[in-house]
Amino acid sequence: MPQNSNSLHSNTDTDVAILTRDLQVIFGRKTILKGINLSVRRGQIIGYIGPNGAGKSTTIKAILGLIPEYTGEIRIFDRDIADGNVDYKKGIGYVPETAEIYDALTAQEYLTFIGRLYGMNERKAQRKARELMQILDLDGAFQSRLSSYSKGMKQKVLLISSLLHNPDILFLDEPLSGLDANSVSVVKDILAQLAQNGKTIFYSSHIMEVVQKISNRILLLKDGEVVADGTFEELSRQAGDTSLEDVFNDITGFHEHRDIAAEFVAALEEV
Amino acid sequence: MRDFLSLKILDRLRPALERLGCDYPVLRKIVQIKLTMDARRVPTVMMNNSRRNRQENVERNTFVRSLWLYGVMGIALLPFVLTSENYLFQMSIAFAILMFLVTTSMISDFSSVLLDVRDRAIVSTKPVTSKTVSLARTVHIFIYLSLLTATLAGPGLIGGLLRHGIGFFLLFLMLVVLADVFVLVVTALLYLLILNVFDGERLKDIINYVQIVLSITIILGYQVIGRSFAVFKLHIVFHAAWWQVLVPPFWFGSVFTWLPGGHAVGSAPGAEIVVLTALAIVVPCAMFALYIRLMPAFERRLEKLSTDTARNRKGSHVVLEWIAKLICRTDEERTLFQFSSWMMARERDFKLKVYPSLGLSIAFPFIFMLNPAMESSFHSLASSKWYLAIYMTALMIPTVVSMLKYSGKYKAAWIYQVTPISDLGSVYRGVLKAFLVRLLLPVYILESIVFTAIFGFSVIPHLLAAGLAILIYAVVCYWAMDKDLPFSKPFEVVQQGKRYLVLVLMLVIALLAIVHLLFTLIPFGIYIYIVILLVANVIIWALGFNTQRSATSG
Repeated sequence: MPQNSNSLHSNTDTDVAILTRDLQVIFGRKTILKGINLSVRRGQIIGYIGPNGAGKSTTIKAILGLIPEYTGEIRIFDRDIADGNVDYKKGIGYVPETAEIYDALTAQEYLTFIGRLYGMNERKAQRKARELMQILDLDGAFQSRLSSYSKGMKQKVLLISSLLHNPDILFLDEPLSGLDANSVSVVKDILAQLAQNGKTIFYSSHIMEVVQKISNRILLLKDGEVVADGTFEELSRQAGDTSLEDVFNDITGFHEHRDIAAEFVAALEEV
Repeated sequence: MRDFLSLKILDRLRPALERLGCDYPVLRKIVQIKLTMDARRVPTVMMNNSRRNRQENVERNTFVRSLWLYGVMGIALLPFVLTSENYLFQMSIAFAILMFLVTTSMISDFSSVLLDVRDRAIVSTKPVTSKTVSLARTVHIFIYLSLLTATLAGPGLIGGLLRHGIGFFLLFLMLVVLADVFVLVVTALLYLLILNVFDGERLKDIINYVQIVLSITIILGYQVIGRSFAVFKLHIVFHAAWWQVLVPPFWFGSVFTWLPGGHAVGSAPGAEIVVLTALAIVVPCAMFALYIRLMPAFERRLEKLSTDTARNRKGSHVVLEWIAKLICRTDEERTLFQFSSWMMARERDFKLKVYPSLGLSIAFPFIFMLNPAMESSFHSLASSKWYLAIYMTALMIPTVVSMLKYSGKYKAAWIYQVTPISDLGSVYRGVLKAFLVRLLLPVYILESIVFTAIFGFSVIPHLLAAGLAILIYAVVCYWAMDKDLPFSKPFEVVQQGKRYLVLVLMLVIALLAIVHLLFTLIPFGIYIYIVILLVANVIIWALGFNTQRSATSG
């Protein structure tokens, strides 16, 4: 199945936002990524899924330049990121899975700081941060410390911080975590509209329903390899399943969920 | 956000920093953000000053506020600076003290800054070069290191200026800066080495141990330094020698011999002095260059630190279970005993605050015996009743017991609310027993071994009696403190108000020792005392906790 992605390789295409060739990451004796080949076009929403420890965040970290010891090639808008110039990151927004945030700062301070790191000027970063906070109904808390925020509020701030500089590529790791249903709808629509405007979104999540709904291409990673790549329709046709969850379980070779559940419940009742 | 004074000073260094290859405006912003956060944080090391600031907007750096303490410590340098017997000797000692204090507080206070993994996710993912990130980190630490060294060396610098003149002062100042660079770089390189060989957990353990050593040394150091004037009466003749090449404080001390009147012998500086002085200047500069080069590698190691998975632990469970069965009566108590044992052994925050106190517990009895040991001979000490100093082991019990209710993960205490715990008395009993077995017992056994070595086997009944008395004392301490569920409050709310209580409880120890002393006056009194203590223990452990059942609501 990984070979399927070869057809997507058209290296001269300037519409290719992210390109990796034989991306490998080895930590000590452990091989985390065993040669990832990706070609992602502008305007695509990629659902990047896989079991825990498959290498999803490692891929994203490598693309963000956090893992310099990778082998293979990573190109962002046809520029090799190994050239030592970090400017390519100006076009990238990132919501980390760990939701790390300096919560001793106020939202205003934090967002302005992030804006400055992305090379925006202070005033513009602040104006934009305030505006976006207002739209997401957080203007009342703009001057409060992030430590006083609820989980959902923090998540919104993280989203804003990843979008503040209007990036072309977005890496989102569980971006909906902690958001209430209304906010989830808003964020989903934001992502859809951003993709329409030509932004590339790398969406990583364990919630298959959402991934199935919002992404127009799904990449399934297992043990450091891409084991499925295609639209949901293609994958479900191949696997003969109706939901992404079933596709996921099929491809990762996981069929015992019913047995495990039965065993679990039985063990409970033994007492 | 304020514009810090240190940032304004930093602005003057802009050309130098840019030459090192950083993006200065971004670096400045990062450092400003860090300083702002520090001003709002309650640093772990300053737990004695950590009173929660209710008004959120009061931004005062607790580190800066506790600087005076370092100023006081710095007075220790004065005797060495003020004499002019032998510059090489006195200034080498002064630098040894200075560098020791700077290194240890560097490790205990700034490790968290040096090893901040949040930077990886938040800053390094942005278009900022790793050189800028590393330099921002270095500048951030160096700001604090300068403050700390300035206060530490302050008394010595002023003393030197008044006593030996401006030349001495300037030389001292320059060397202090070089020594700072040396310490910062050596620490960072040491961490790099440790991270290369071990995992992050081990590094945190090592940092923990350094903190313990620091607190013990400070206490012991004052005992020794108080007597350091006596050293000068001996009129030491001290020359430069080749072995000193291996001891960095001598490098810095040697530079002073170039001053007029610097070498007491009156001869021209020998080859040794030339080499030592060269080392003092060349090594810090060379190491700084190396450091700049290795910083990217350091950043990469941090990535490893953040992704490291913990290794499996096994082993002590069986022993612990066995002890639990032996000393706990109810299942609830046993459960709490085991739970508390694990928490005490593993929770980083808890260890950081409590283990240094335990270190002091080890040191106190010996400090107490230091005076009699120095005044009279060792033999007269061995035949005396100074073994009562063992009671000093208990000196830290009030402090530690008062810490048992705090945790970095205090929010997890909801578990007490949702589980059907019927008897809070057994909760308290389990926790206290865990403290006694897991933390105090090892310390006490260690002390007992040393005491037996000093006083002979006849001291064993006394150690037994003291141990039993301390058990009762621990209950009294727990009883006197606010009774709260273990590990259920954030460290930030550690109250100051209980200080007087801790003092009163410390006096109780003296009382216990006096009672013990009285029993030694009666023939076989110590055995009578042991029996009384045994009975008292049984009663107090059985009844001492039941009173709270109605007093506290789960």
